[in-house]
Amino acid sequence: MKLWRNPDIVWRIEKRREQDILQALERGEDVSGRGTVILIISGMMHQLNLVGGRIWALCDGNRNETEVAAELAREFDAAEEEIAGDVAQFVAELMERGWLRRG
Amino acid sequence: MAETITEQFSAPLTFNWTLSYRCNFSCAHCYSRDEIGEELATADIRRIVDVLAEKQIPFINFGGGEPLIRPDLFDIAAYATGKGLNVSMNSNGWLLDAVAAKELKASGFKSVGVSIDSAAAALHDDFRNMPDSFPRAVAALDHLHRAGLRSTMSSVISRINFRNFRELLQLAREHQVGQVYLHNFKCSGRGFKNRQELDLSPEEWKDFYVEALRVKDATKDLRISFDDPVIASLPGYDENPLVKGSSCGKLSLHLRPNGDITPCGFIPLVVGNILRDDFDEIWYDSPVLRQMRNKEAKGKCAGCGAFENCLGGCTARAFATTGDFSQPDPHCWK
Repeated sequence: MKLWRNPDIVWRIEKRREQDILQALERGEDVSGRGTVILIISGMMHQLNLVGGRIWALCDGNRNETEVAAELAREFDAAEEEIAGDVAQFVAELMERGWLRRG
Repeated sequence: MAETITEQFSAPLTFNWTLSYRCNFSCAHCYSRDEIGEELATADIRRIVDVLAEKQIPFINFGGGEPLIRPDLFDIAAYATGKGLNVSMNSNGWLLDAVAAKELKASGFKSVGVSIDSAAAALHDDFRNMPDSFPRAVAALDHLHRAGLRSTMSSVISRINFRNFRELLQLAREHQVGQVYLHNFKCSGRGFKNRQELDLSPEEWKDFYVEALRVKDATKDLRISFDDPVIASLPGYDENPLVKGSSCGKLSLHLRPNGDITPCGFIPLVVGNILRDDFDEIWYDSPVLRQMRNKEAKGKCAGCGAFENCLGGCTARAFATTGDFSQPDPHCWK
């Protein structure tokens, strides 16, 4: 089943931050704690890091979990089987929060 | 997931947009009632909406002036909604009848705020300089509810209501309001002229917030919002705002009727024009915005342990009373 974002969630890619973070990644820095996507949910703001933000953006109703992992592996030049577990865990957490759904 | 928000955003989250300075009311505290300015044609307003959508600014809130004065308000809102923006507004309620409420709903408004400053009709009417404005404002809340549109209530805290704010909350409950904004008094425009008569002393502000926060904690059926950075200096205050200090220039900007951008409606410094200037240059490079984002601790803020949380309180109030962003907020009780 395809993955869909909750349409009530307002979100945005922070483009300039994303560029900075991609450059930092190329320099070999740890960027896991830096947000590239902001979500506004019931007046509260949350941020997703580079990988989380890409997963979020890919959950547009056109891909299932396997396809998201495949696309992510391609973008980050990683083995799909390595990345699939992280995607599954992240998707499960966001489903639990009601931020994503399958359909 | 990353949760700490320390870096600058790529654009504001909200534009507070004064479409017109015209208003059918003449309120004692109004920041803009004495302003006169060119208004843009609908086509130019649509061009502004295009810029906001391109910059992925998610929220616009129409204020004023009275937004319903503009006959193209519904068209503008529908256009903005169609571009994916979340549209809200604040009104004095006078023109907000059943037909207007339905049109607001149809044009995509997410919520509409009505200003009510006292639960005592005569006091509200006197503050707003408009006989019968209270029953019409209350009726506006009911029209919004019947139209299926989320309503909020905005109350500017001043000498006329600070001891009776619970009555405002009860009024909100009785008219199915989901959220009440207890706005802090701003010393801008008429608010500056009438400051001696309307504003509270710093100690009164402290007492008000201590009590209002206690009520907020105990209230489950209504959202109560303050949005006043000076609160962060209260001992034990542990709410986590999106940014420290004033949000203007960090999370929000203000648009004047001619497209000029100011940091907020209460700071009369133009940092650019959204139709003429490059928005990213304004947002990232404006000396005024940079100064507001990097305030120094001056005066009694220097050495104060609360500064790291309140960042000197409301920048607009400090600027209005001293001409310096970095001076302490005159409401500060410390």
